[in-house]
Amino acid sequence: MSEFIRTRLLDNNAALVQMLGLCPLLAVSNTAINALGMGIATISVVVVTNFLVSLIRPITKKEIRIPLFVLLIASVVTALEMMMNAYFHELYLVLGIFIPLIVTNCLIMARAEAYASKNAWWLSIKDGFFVGLGFALVMFAIGLMRELIGQGTLFTQAHLLFGEWGHHIELTLLKNYSGFLIAVLPPGAFFALAILVAIKNKRDIKKSQDR
Amino acid sequence: MKAILNNKWMLPVILALMTLLTSALLMFSHEMTVDKIAAIKSENKLASLKKLLPANLIDNDLIADAIDIEEPVLLGHRHSEKLYLGKKNGQITVMGIPVTAQNGYSGDIDLLVGVLSNGQITAVEIINHKETPGLGDLIESRKSDWLLQFPNKSLNEPTTNQWLVKKDRGHFDQITAATITPRAVVGAIKKALLYHQTWLSANAEAFKP
Repeated sequence: MSEFIRTRLLDNNAALVQMLGLCPLLAVSNTAINALGMGIATISVVVVTNFLVSLIRPITKKEIRIPLFVLLIASVVTALEMMMNAYFHELYLVLGIFIPLIVTNCLIMARAEAYASKNAWWLSIKDGFFVGLGFALVMFAIGLMRELIGQGTLFTQAHLLFGEWGHHIELTLLKNYSGFLIAVLPPGAFFALAILVAIKNKRDIKKSQDR
Repeated sequence: MKAILNNKWMLPVILALMTLLTSALLMFSHEMTVDKIAAIKSENKLASLKKLLPANLIDNDLIADAIDIEEPVLLGHRHSEKLYLGKKNGQITVMGIPVTAQNGYSGDIDLLVGVLSNGQITAVEIINHKETPGLGDLIESRKSDWLLQFPNKSLNEPTTNQWLVKKDRGHFDQITAATITPRAVVGAIKKALLYHQTWLSANAEAFKP
């Protein structure tokens, strides 16, 4: 794995290290499929906004960069949402609820500010994709944990994302499981995230001791 | 060019231009999609109406014959809603009754309940809700078959005092780890059935066979 990719997926992961975009990360990760949907939506939006922010570099001045980014991101995402609603309605039913939430994801602002506004468009697209992927993977892991502990199932409602064959990957791992409500409710998200952060920190410490 | 751009007077100009551009983008995409979205919405509405009001019982135009009602007490409405009347040969055969459950877990749950003239439920559709994803939203028919326990039920079967979830010693299944939402929905459906009874007796004269 190249340095470029490893930093974004692991070493400087947006969710685990920078703690960016916690609002959607914690709110929509109660099932694996919800988390996956939000992850996919986040990746696509951050790729598009990184690209556009990179394109307007020539007119982006230091003093007005934040309002420019906000303007651009908010309107592009809104336009995307309307287009999706009209022309890809099936997809909209699945991801549509996540899209307005994404506008508030500071991960997107952070990438616009820290990377896309200083680099060429092809690098910005690549950056957006891998940062988004790092975020989506963490989100998916939290979704898996919360769903398994909270409901004893995995991939319920997969048909909403994958169509009819999604029914085949819906698993009930713990039969007659009465559920562990706290894992599904918001506190469960904090616990799951804390576990992942702890594992990541442990690995980092071990790595620096080995060195 | 560079010199002009670096002039401090250019900053508001850039911002204004960008605002203009993004507003144009939004106007354009709204203009392009507004009809299509409205069409999809009314299509979905018709599709759910068809589920509630079986086609073989109806020969009228549902949308045109719908009447506006507002029943804050009986049906929990917060604003006026459409009551759909399915008629055959001028007689009411089936009704689509809008009801709002104000006691959901988070926010209102809007339902449409289809009721035959003998008081039996044809189907129940959830129109709108904000219940917890993965828990309360299992009331949605595309997410679980919880709603399928209602068709063919009426106020006689089970009896009126059995219109509760099992946890409250009633007849209906709840959803694991979510009791408040099903409780609210069952209560709302019962309200719709009661309203159906009163409405029929109140309007018996107007629609006598």
